Amino acid sequence: MKDSLVLLGRVPAHPDSRCWFLAWNPAGTLLASCGGDRRIRIWGTEGDSWICKSVLSEGHQRTVRKVAWSPCGNYLASASFDATTCIWKKNQDDFECVTTLEGHENEVKSVAWAPSGNLLATCSRDKSVWVWEVDEEDEYECVSVLNSHTQDVKHVVWHPSQELLASASYDDTVKLYREEEDDWVCCATLEGHESTVWSLAFDPSGQRLASCSDDRTVRIWRQYLPDNEQGVACSGSDPSWKCICTLSGFHSRTIYDIAWCQLTGALATACGDDAIRVFQEDPNSDPQQPTFSLTAHLHQAHSQDVNCVAWNPKEPGLLASCSDDGEVAFWKYQRPEGL
Amino acid sequence: MAGSQDIFDSIVMADERFHGEGYREGYEEGSSLGVMEGRQHGTLHGAKIGSEIGCYQGFAFAWKCLLHSCTTEKDSRKMKVLESLIGMIQKFPYDDPTYDKLHEDLDKIRGKFKQALFCLCRSLTRCHTETGLGTDERSGWFGGSPRGWDVVARSRLTVTSTS
Repeated sequence: MKDSLVLLGRVPAHPDSRCWFLAWNPAGTLLASCGGDRRIRIWGTEGDSWICKSVLSEGHQRTVRKVAWSPCGNYLASASFDATTCIWKKNQDDFECVTTLEGHENEVKSVAWAPSGNLLATCSRDKSVWVWEVDEEDEYECVSVLNSHTQDVKHVVWHPSQELLASASYDDTVKLYREEEDDWVCCATLEGHESTVWSLAFDPSGQRLASCSDDRTVRIWRQYLPDNEQGVACSGSDPSWKCICTLSGFHSRTIYDIAWCQLTGALATACGDDAIRVFQEDPNSDPQQPTFSLTAHLHQAHSQDVNCVAWNPKEPGLLASCSDDGEVAFWKYQRPEGL
Repeated sequence: MAGSQDIFDSIVMADERFHGEGYREGYEEGSSLGVMEGRQHGTLHGAKIGSEIGCYQGFAFAWKCLLHSCTTEKDSRKMKVLESLIGMIQKFPYDDPTYDKLHEDLDKIRGKFKQALFCLCRSLTRCHTETGLGTDERSGWFGGSPRGWDVVARSRLTVTSTS
């Protein structure tokens, strides 16, 4: 298990500060990092090493908490504690801030692009989730303001193929939203975690959702459509979500991030105990009651809390991680023999 | 025999009898005081909600009038949001405090108002409070973020610039 996650390199991405989040561009050639130093850095390879290709420094007045690439790879959205979300347009190696979205009352915690590229979602400590629509002229309209959560909303993520949005909150729940008659509504609430839900990740098919929490567990939820074979009750035409697996006893502190590799199905977690773990579904496990095994556990992956893990979308096994220590690390994961 | 039983009863049971009478009197007085207190509380709370929704309704009607003659696609989208807000406000059950979705509907109205505010007042400038970024008040614009009121005030002033 020691050799299944190998360090490829480290870079001091946000010196004297925290590195909060990482995002690979859709082509897998660039990695965006953001941090407490209010900057966003774009990293690319030059031979065997990772170098900083651009620094986006004039966008925000406070910590940049998350960044997200548009599906076309030409835009980068950044969510900041200064209550704004910036949209940056890529022009070769330069990035220009083309719009600043305001509206949230306080710190914006997350931003995510829908797979169509036409919709954007943001969430904030003000307990709301906003859905934005982009038109052909790069103008952003607020399509909905959702006040379903009762506490700080930590993360938003879109389904890989449908216009379904998921959010995670300090109120211990995960909520799902979809468009219904020109307005967005909360169509499901997933309860089960005993503390703040920090992050979410859909599996490659979009049928399952993984959530990680301050309660030190990972939960896997499965979508059941009305009239499903398993007899899971649904209300009306809305699908139901049921928790089909809980991974507990593996993490000794809060799990801050989870990433589901779209190529290999491997599940990576970022933990407050400075470690990175990788889980894989056991072959032949029952789809309605899957079992996952720990296939990699790297202690001291960083010298402080690991805040984010991100799988490269094109290169199987390439994982990036970042930490409160301000560093970004690159890893090669290989599924161990016999597991 | 019956006579002696009555005499002892009134002495022996005196304690319990007075206890019971006292309890009943206290209960009645407490109930009527409770009803008065409850009514006061309800009046205040109801007024707060009414005032908040009244403000949103006034805002929506005013902008609806202002946009009445505008016919661009963007303006028709704004109208749609305003009409949706007005519809939600009109459907809100003002005379049923026991309505089980009261707070859920109120949150939806607040969300729709924020969406309308964003659509109409694109160029709003945020005014940060000296202490930092807003408060955690559930009610948001009311009794919460002072910045919220600045924004609403500015939107009343910028009547001509609707894009």
